[in-house]
Amino acid sequence: MKEMKLFLGPQHPGMHGNASVHMFVDGDIIKRSYLLPGMLHRGFEKQMERKLWVNNISLIPRVCVPEPDINEMSFATAAEKILKLEVPERAHWIRMIILELARISAHLMAYGGLGGPTGNYTLMYHAHVDRNLILDIFEKITGARVYHQYIVIGGVRQDLPDGIEEDINVFIDDLERRLVEYRDLGIDNASIVKRIKDTIMLPEEVVWELGVTGIGMRSAVNKPYDVRKVVPYARYDQVEFEVPVSDYSDARARLDIKIKEIQQSIIIIRQCLAKMPEGPVRVKPDRGQSMRWTVPKGYAYAPIESSRGEFGYYMVSNGGTSPWRVGVRGASYPQGLLGIEKYLPGTRIDDAALWVDTMGICSPEIDR
Amino acid sequence: MTNSINNLELVKELVSKTTTILKEENIDVQQLAFEVNTCDIHHVLSVLKSAGWKQLSYLSAVDWPDENKFEVVYILFNWDKPVYVQIRTKIDRENPSIDSILPIFPGAKYYEREAHEFFGIAFPGNPDYEKQLILEGWDDIPPLRKDFDPSAYSDRKFPSREYPQDYSVTDEKNHSLEKRAERKARAERLRTGGKKQ
Repeated sequence: MKEMKLFLGPQHPGMHGNASVHMFVDGDIIKRSYLLPGMLHRGFEKQMERKLWVNNISLIPRVCVPEPDINEMSFATAAEKILKLEVPERAHWIRMIILELARISAHLMAYGGLGGPTGNYTLMYHAHVDRNLILDIFEKITGARVYHQYIVIGGVRQDLPDGIEEDINVFIDDLERRLVEYRDLGIDNASIVKRIKDTIMLPEEVVWELGVTGIGMRSAVNKPYDVRKVVPYARYDQVEFEVPVSDYSDARARLDIKIKEIQQSIIIIRQCLAKMPEGPVRVKPDRGQSMRWTVPKGYAYAPIESSRGEFGYYMVSNGGTSPWRVGVRGASYPQGLLGIEKYLPGTRIDDAALWVDTMGICSPEIDR
Repeated sequence: MTNSINNLELVKELVSKTTTILKEENIDVQQLAFEVNTCDIHHVLSVLKSAGWKQLSYLSAVDWPDENKFEVVYILFNWDKPVYVQIRTKIDRENPSIDSILPIFPGAKYYEREAHEFFGIAFPGNPDYEKQLILEGWDDIPPLRKDFDPSAYSDRKFPSREYPQDYSVTDEKNHSLEKRAERKARAERLRTGGKKQ
């Protein structure tokens, strides 16, 4: 039969962000496919080399749009590793609260995104309402809704406002009650379960071949391979939480893990609020002028567990007032580029959008 | 989970048995960096892969124009013995080329394409490394090289135009232009190390 070319995205309800999947199809079976990135390339890695260490804080959240806080955390920890800077105890706990709230919001967005390709828009609206409540909490803490610029080198920008603990508690109690509802609307919903069960499998050997991390890996390998557990940063070694895993990686298992991870994030936030000590939240590097301080020579890689997998900044400093090289290891690099090229062929057209959604592909972090 | 100190020792032993180490750094308790000769890269990576470091976390390059070198970086990770290993090597800046590591890590394909696009490093052995990935219709030197000047590039690409009328000031009585000049002077003073006034 004749081969036909189809585009998924950049304008398509099933596509997340400004990238496009080019598919060559025969009937409705994909024969060849590849991702066309680059529509959101803004030259961040080059810009970072030309800005002061402090200036960069306003730039880095833009690297990944749906989950900006991991960028700030990764940038800050990489610089602190080179600076050998000890962050105040309270700042670690505040960072963890911010990161877990960000994880919940990213998971809700991805889980709600299932509504696009499956036509179940109710799920998307519900998820976005709850995400909006998280953005309200962020606005109270940081003053901004999406790009917070809150986690900086040496701690966090300012202390938590009064009474925010109550707001967070009210929200997470409410969300915890609603998780059952999310299950019913999404992965247990009979109208879409056929689309997500036993489709777009990810076998274990493929995980190792591609280098997939995060939920994709944990759903296939059945081991708790989570950066928070394996290479603990901040104070993740002092809180108790489980890493949900599975040994059968279809789209449904991956979404199931997403819901379970939201539950675990709620547990972590509760522990953080209980264990958080009082004290200062920020230290200054104290190396030169107030803004034009320098970082000593060195190389560091700072891995962070994002909602899509291992996310990290590779940072090189030559002792100047701005970084010499900042490399971004986007968590969606393996599954987004190589995964679509190698493992989408053989599946159906409608599975492409589900791969993009359940594997977590964030095009801004591929383009930078 | 095994003891992280033992893991660090294990990696050091593995790498030092395989090749001569030019430089070694302990970045933190779970991260090590080695600089090795270019000809040993494939050997080191395959030894580490068979010892369990089977995830390629990152591959990229760093430009060092003063030494006239590019530094290629490979970061490997082992989930069971959690140590990040950076393997670095320096290659010449003129006609930079290093053999692809695709036979060892198939996941390196797109990282190598990106390194070729942003630094101009050739990766013989990777069938697609010359294809364009992110930069569409790029007509200058690779942009992450230090001698690429973005502002000169943008001046050339988007030359400044003369506007017949200045629309930035609408009200004659407001002093926005003066204020702007004042702000600019203040920023300049701060930038050149002057004290706040």
